[in-house]
Amino acid sequence: MNFSAHRTTTGFLLPSIHSAPPFYTQQPNAATQAVFTEHWTRLLLAYARHRGLFVLRVEDAEVSAGGEWDEVLRNPRINRRVKPELLSHILDAMVGKSLAAYEPAGQTRAALLHWRLPEEWAEVLHEWATKTGQLNTILTFYEISDPPDPSALSGIPGALLRPAIAILAKSGRAQLISISDGDGVRFFPRSAK
Amino acid sequence: MGGSQSMPKITAQDRAILDLKIQRDKLRQYQRKIQVVLDREHEIAKQHLAAGHKDRALVALRRRKYQEGLLVRTDGQLESLEQLVSTIEFSLVQVSVLHGLKQGNDVLKEIHKELNLESVEKLLEETAEAREYQREMDNMLTNSLSLDEEDAVQAELKALQRETGNAEISLSLPDAPTSEPVSPEREEGNRRHEEERATGRVAIPA
Repeated sequence: MNFSAHRTTTGFLLPSIHSAPPFYTQQPNAATQAVFTEHWTRLLLAYARHRGLFVLRVEDAEVSAGGEWDEVLRNPRINRRVKPELLSHILDAMVGKSLAAYEPAGQTRAALLHWRLPEEWAEVLHEWATKTGQLNTILTFYEISDPPDPSALSGIPGALLRPAIAILAKSGRAQLISISDGDGVRFFPRSAK
Repeated sequence: MGGSQSMPKITAQDRAILDLKIQRDKLRQYQRKIQVVLDREHEIAKQHLAAGHKDRALVALRRRKYQEGLLVRTDGQLESLEQLVSTIEFSLVQVSVLHGLKQGNDVLKEIHKELNLESVEKLLEETAEAREYQREMDNMLTNSLSLDEEDAVQAELKALQRETGNAEISLSLPDAPTSEPVSPEREEGNRRHEEERATGRVAIPA
């Protein structure tokens, strides 16, 4: 059988393994499954980065069609799709490697994908604030995750934003301001200690 | 925390700005919600119309109109909020500019303290004195040569010029005339003769 890479309508290049039918079935052999899970992890993170997606839910494998993850979780060309059980297994493995985190904590149905480490997010955040000339001004979280001009941070969940700000605060490049109505943040130039 | 020491303190002003901005964001979110409602009511009206319920479609459209009015009103509020935020931020910039100017002024004053008029005058005087001294020295050095010595120097210069051949070029004057000068009348006649010879015509004597 000839497996080939496939470019989706959103321009994402699916690897050839994506058109291998066994890839969609949980393998009885633990070693084989580990390899498959590894591939799935890489594929899911790459796709999330490509589309700017933050959350992956087990539900995404359950709904009939029309979800954001359809292009990856389904392959109509070989008539296969990821079963919810397999997805929840993959999620579990990803959380184990801290490439994802269950969000909110205490359940295993939805996870936040860490396709950028909190440190990397911190850099992206600071760079954005510098580029848009918003150093030393007070910004609300809403302004960061929902800016008038779409940025690399558009749609970033608070659960990712907070650790990134905490990292910047440690090196003196950000300051968290809390009032009863919500939180804000102020960024400082790099040179400040 | 060692890191927080160098950070500016969170003032009541900062809190007020943040509060304003959060209110502004809330308005924006509210607007988004209304927009969703607007779109939905439009859909509902369309469906009712397709199903033949004209009066129900009308109700949906009325609700839509009301929401639209809300949206316009929030637009106004949002505008005034945003203006306020901009004004505050601009005032903060002005304050920091003022602060910068003040610091610059202080530095300038400090510099001027070192550069007071008296010391400048004294320095200028000293410079003038030094210049005067230099001129005297020059005079003394040039005057130390006697006239004879000066002549000797000039002669030496001429000798040098001759050696290098400069003297010949500078002295190539025309020779003085050796023949007797002719009077202007005869010259006139001579010229006429020459003319006649040249053209071949005979001149009528006047």
